[in-house]
Amino acid sequence: MDLYLLGKVPWEDSQLIYHAMAELGREGLILLSPASPYVCIGFHQDAEHEVDLDFCRTNGIPVFRRDVGGGAVYLDGGQLFFQLVLPRGDARIPASKEAFYRKFLSPVVDVYRRLGIPAEYKPINDVIAGGRKISGSGVGEVGGCVVFVGNLIVDFNYGMMTRILKVPDEKFRDKVHKTLTENLSTIRRELGEERAAQWTEERLNALMIEAFGELVGPFQPKTPDDALRAKMDELGSVMLADAWLIQRRRPGAERNVKIRSGVHVVQKVHKCRGGLIRADFEVSDGRLAGVSISGDFFCYPAKKIQHLEAELEGRIVHEVREAIEAFYADNALETPGVGVGDWLAVFGG
Amino acid sequence: MDIEGYNLPEDLYYEKDHYWVKADGDLLVMGMNDFAQKLAGKIVFVQLPEPGKALEAGKRFAKVESGKWLGKVNAPVNGELADVNEELEGNPGLINEDCYGKGWMYKIKPDNQADLGQLIHGAEAIRTWMLEEIAKFAKK
Repeated sequence: MDLYLLGKVPWEDSQLIYHAMAELGREGLILLSPASPYVCIGFHQDAEHEVDLDFCRTNGIPVFRRDVGGGAVYLDGGQLFFQLVLPRGDARIPASKEAFYRKFLSPVVDVYRRLGIPAEYKPINDVIAGGRKISGSGVGEVGGCVVFVGNLIVDFNYGMMTRILKVPDEKFRDKVHKTLTENLSTIRRELGEERAAQWTEERLNALMIEAFGELVGPFQPKTPDDALRAKMDELGSVMLADAWLIQRRRPGAERNVKIRSGVHVVQKVHKCRGGLIRADFEVSDGRLAGVSISGDFFCYPAKKIQHLEAELEGRIVHEVREAIEAFYADNALETPGVGVGDWLAVFGG
Repeated sequence: MDIEGYNLPEDLYYEKDHYWVKADGDLLVMGMNDFAQKLAGKIVFVQLPEPGKALEAGKRFAKVESGKWLGKVNAPVNGELADVNEELEGNPGLINEDCYGKGWMYKIKPDNQADLGQLIHGAEAIRTWMLEEIAKFAKK
């Protein structure tokens, strides 16, 4: 298999190269890292809904829509990317998605372990260490190929990741920052500055080559040729244009930022006969946390809303119906035009 | 009919990537089958191209995403996209809830309705195909 070990590259190239390889039907492994920061959104996302485009524009941070799944991420040189391009239908590709992720994330897990970080695979596509995500990845079927992209996270700018997101209010942003810090780790955080510094980009890539080599090697070192460069330029003329970035998608009735598999920060607004309910909360491995209810509806006595928040704290999502029904039965609570069904629409269950 | 826990109505036609097709007057209706939606997990996005798009059998005309995997939807027959299920734009999870009903995806005006005959159809053919598929997907 061809190996492109490219080091730091212009940010556009860090995305265009694997799209171009796939469109050309070339298999290969690409290891690189962007020379400057940018924001990358998933194919299905609405850029204006997900990302604070004004902030990005003002601060010279480009935004790119990839032809791959997943959500908005802030990418910079603190992350080392791997991009594996395989022909669709290749015998090395397991039929099920979970088996695919398990197989092709195993080199990443191995590399982290060789650094002394107790990483493990968590379905469907997370690599976690000590309960925290430590690598992101996604797949796209591009041209006649399957493209698997992901990263080793040496360092992560939590502040910028949180800042580039479009959020309903600053309280929500604070919650995203806190949850992100608690649920995403880096090589620096795991090893400490001094030990992490020993693992240079070169050394980490050498480990990646060795680990991926066991799955898809041996490798032949390559550099981008004219045909590849021409395809990247051709794709760039489309994918770097506003018309590609600003594709309208219908936003749902909630703002939901996925932090890692099973951890989401949510704001939901629900219209009902009695008015409008707004709720901010986290769902962490199926449990509610940090529940905050506001909005425009009548509740007597008003302080019971705080009690309801406390009642929902830590609840498993599918027990919410039971908890709310019990709360109404046990409390002299009046919420005209707001019923159990409305709370379920907000919190699930 | 139930095949190892997957519901595959035997009156439908199936294409190999696990989309079902059925005739509806001059049109064909298409959606994801139960095996695919269960394996996919929560569907988070379905691309809904503009009706009128020309379709070529076996060629990609839309995308669907679940589990951070952006996959392709191939046309089951030659024809033209006649309609899309707009409900899926705001609620793609309808595919998981009711893949043969409210979660239908596309309507196609086929060049030749007889092309349906090239798809997998009939209880025996469906069962044979599905058992092979289940075995294939069980492999690690």
